[in-house]
Amino acid sequence: MLRTASFALLLRWGLLALFLGSAPRAACAQNLIVFAAASLKDALDQNVLLFERSTGDKVVVSYAASSALARQIENGAPADLFISADADWMDYLAKRMLINSATRVDLLKNQLVLIAPADSPVEIKIARNFPLAKRLGGARLAMAQPDYVPAGRYGRAALQTLGVWAAVENRVAPAENVRAALALVSRGEAPLGIVYRTDALADRSVRIVAEFPANTHPPIIYPAALTARSAHPGAARLLAFLGSAQGRAIFRKYGFQD
Amino acid sequence: MFALTPVEAEALRLSLRVALWSVAGSLPLAVLAALLLARAHFRGKSLVDAALHLPLVLPPVVVGYILLILLGRRGPLGEMLENVFGIVVAFRWTGAAIAAAIMGFPLMVRAIRLSMEGIDRGLEAAAGTLGAGRVWIFLTVTLPLAVPGVITGVLLSFARSLGEFGATITFVSNIPGETQTLPLAIYTFTQIPGGDAQALRLSVIAVLLSIAALVVSEAIARRAAQRVKGHDIKY
Repeated sequence: MLRTASFALLLRWGLLALFLGSAPRAACAQNLIVFAAASLKDALDQNVLLFERSTGDKVVVSYAASSALARQIENGAPADLFISADADWMDYLAKRMLINSATRVDLLKNQLVLIAPADSPVEIKIARNFPLAKRLGGARLAMAQPDYVPAGRYGRAALQTLGVWAAVENRVAPAENVRAALALVSRGEAPLGIVYRTDALADRSVRIVAEFPANTHPPIIYPAALTARSAHPGAARLLAFLGSAQGRAIFRKYGFQD
Repeated sequence: MFALTPVEAEALRLSLRVALWSVAGSLPLAVLAALLLARAHFRGKSLVDAALHLPLVLPPVVVGYILLILLGRRGPLGEMLENVFGIVVAFRWTGAAIAAAIMGFPLMVRAIRLSMEGIDRGLEAAAGTLGAGRVWIFLTVTLPLAVPGVITGVLLSFARSLGEFGATITFVSNIPGETQTLPLAIYTFTQIPGGDAQALRLSVIAVLLSIAALVVSEAIARRAAQRVKGHDIKY
């Protein structure tokens, strides 16, 4: 059967149809793809819902660590809009001409907090050389991966400024993104964790033990930009919506600042 | 020449440690389970059989999640282990070994069971007529004849442990030096911009390790089959 002329013809037309079918369609028929830092999950979901209702565009959001998203975009992932949790990963893509720098805006700000499971009675004051390692005991400190993920980097910077990092460096449970770190504390697997204030507010099973002073780490800023390859007209609309009064109000409701 | 970085050496050492202990720990249980399924007849046997095969068909993440719920610090078994024995498996290589053992268990049981079912019952009966007790028959007749199956089962479970990812990362997370086995280390590097070179190096190490494991087990299996059958296995 594989050798007949009709099969060869079928194969040729089939491949052609497949090829044509995968060609870029009219932009509006496709989904608008957003790559967003994991900590934006709840707030951005709500904003996207409102946006979809008012414009009819279909939006799909992929939440992950900003470092992982930057890597995916670098490897050609079809994102239209990228919202990072720090400037570094946005700069990384800008240097490689992968974002439309003209569209770049600083969208949001956040704060860093130390959290514990809701039923934990622990009391800790954050100050220089505070006894974090001792309070952890034999357990681990949940935080996003401190080398690459923004929340982890901010956390490490804060602990370094406070002179505490060296003592807890080997006691960290590095999570894939800040929400995974949140989940570790939420489940009681880790007695303490470092996440954004917005994450702590989003989860009833954790409580904020203390807040890291803003001067212990670089300012937490969420830049947003269209990607260089984006051809979706809705992307600019969405970015404008997120920066509008309505969009900002939603973000503020979840604890972000702007 | 091909010198290992500390991260690579750690991941390799951890992978081997976890795989070896997971196999060693599950082998006695697997032999007993295989014996049960091969020889015993009881009500609900097919249910037990199905339950034992669950880790083979369930998504590994589900197995990891169930382990997390049961053996996590706040899980019923986890709390009991911590309070009574002082044992904590969360975030530890022992937890990774447990996850790997469970994922590889059905493979081990299947291989051993198949081997046991192929044993000539007449030999066991003959040993019985010569005065051997049940346990003695098992130790001196059944088990030695089942060795090819045991070796196959050990190899399959070992290989499964080396490659175990979903259950491990869900149950004990991804902690360098404790639970970051080779697959997890490779995954970590694929999440980092510019981590491709390192991911590739680790992948090469994983391939070499797997080939080594296959070659060694093949040699052992041949030797064992020769002893059992009196001749080399023919394919």
